[in-house]
Amino acid sequence: MIGEGFVRSIGRSTLFAFREIGGVTLLTGKVLRSLVPPRFDGPEFWRNMYRMGNKSLPIIALTAFFVGGIMVIQAGVFVKKLNAGQLVGWGAGYSIFREVGPMLIALMFSGRVGSNNTAELATMTVTEQLDGLRALAIDPITYLAVPRVLAMTLSLLVLVVLGNLIALYGGALFAMLLLDLEFSTLYYSLVENIGWMDFVHGVIKAAVFGASIAITSCYFGISVRGGAIGVGKAVNAAVVAAAISIVALDFFVTYLLP
Amino acid sequence: MASMSSSPTESAIQSAILLSKVELHLDRVPVLQSLSLDVAEGGRLGIIGPAAGGKSVLLKVLVGLLKPDSGSVKVRGTEISDGDENTLMDVREEVGMLFQNYALFDFLTVGQNVAFPLHRQRDRIRKSSGDTLSDSEIDERVEARLLAVGLAGSGNKMPSELSGGMKKRVGIARATIARPKLLLYDEPTAGLDPVTTSKMYDLIAKDQKETGCTIVAVSSDVNALCTFADDIALLHLGQIRYQGKSDSIADADDELVRQFVSGADQGPL
Repeated sequence: MIGEGFVRSIGRSTLFAFREIGGVTLLTGKVLRSLVPPRFDGPEFWRNMYRMGNKSLPIIALTAFFVGGIMVIQAGVFVKKLNAGQLVGWGAGYSIFREVGPMLIALMFSGRVGSNNTAELATMTVTEQLDGLRALAIDPITYLAVPRVLAMTLSLLVLVVLGNLIALYGGALFAMLLLDLEFSTLYYSLVENIGWMDFVHGVIKAAVFGASIAITSCYFGISVRGGAIGVGKAVNAAVVAAAISIVALDFFVTYLLP
Repeated sequence: MASMSSSPTESAIQSAILLSKVELHLDRVPVLQSLSLDVAEGGRLGIIGPAAGGKSVLLKVLVGLLKPDSGSVKVRGTEISDGDENTLMDVREEVGMLFQNYALFDFLTVGQNVAFPLHRQRDRIRKSSGDTLSDSEIDERVEARLLAVGLAGSGNKMPSELSGGMKKRVGIARATIARPKLLLYDEPTAGLDPVTTSKMYDLIAKDQKETGCTIVAVSSDVNALCTFADDIALLHLGQIRYQGKSDSIADADDELVRQFVSGADQGPL
């Protein structure tokens, strides 16, 4: 027989989930409303573009470079076995552009930028800095959240484009070193088989993932309760929620786009 | 110098703050209970009371950061208890607030923190009249304010480099720099030595003489606050237990009030 405690626990979890989904939806609505007409702090936007975008570039570049290499190593066994060297460029490009690039870079971005954003906003919340803004007649959503959402979305989009190119370069380098393939073979395999839609597919995913990381990280930062323990819990929740949303959105975008 | 916009009912304002039967619960715990309060325009009200009595919560209600469950909250003639954001924004433009935990923006320098209300005020004025406060004027006012609170030359420091008392003084500088019409101070002298405490109250009084603003200050330093404020209210368990002239509080009829002011360990508290 199902115990009362179990039912209560289900009820509590359901209420919690709906409360969080409702909160994220409300924040998304407020952010969108602030964009038409645009009402957000310009200097805050550029400050965040620099620290979220520029400063993420080295780690994203390093990750992307090795991701390209890993893909070639994994494919190497079959390439040699089937003598399918002419497919390496296409295989690497297709998977990097459409799936591996946006997904891995987004997860990396979430870990570096999203968690930092949540910790920063949560600390500001528990130290009454958000109340301080409100008391100065400034809406924290337009001053803090909107510039961050825009900066994170645009940063991830640019980082994915750059990261994809670096991953391709890494893949090509490892293919030449480990599989003895010519650069021209890889190049023609890529350009003759990859279409614009493969590139656009990844870019759309990057924008969707960026917005999702931004909204969840801002939401958990702003809605934190409690002191230092609350900040830790908020960061944890934001990272988990962002990872789940990236995977779920990846499924839907892959399903819906050609 | 540009002035802040006035509310349409300014001429009719007699009470800067008028609270009537305000009730507020936080996490189902009653924090303010049937609280009524009247603060005259240009007055100085000091709020004292035992810890967790609702003093800081009351200040947050006055600036609309907390919405009461019931009752009326009028700030400079405007009803804010319904929590309408546009109304609140208008009211907050006339309010300066010092938070108990300073609430300094840790991503800005001390100078940028103090200048923050002026930049916001400039943006608003630019939108409405086109007049602007120049960057050099803002810098001059920030430097003068930092000098007034004894922190000259600290403009480039980050809040994390300051002691608690210094942060408090930066908070006072930020709250007062835009010359608001209502100033709310939550523990303005906590963490300050007696000499600096006296200097801060002198500065606040001098500012008030120049601007004619209304002041509500919450403090645990009963003696210093009684010296500064015209009127004192004692808040206990979310209710005003005493409101009257600060110089007569020691002779109040209520034994609890007398005990709190004298600090005696025997009594109802």
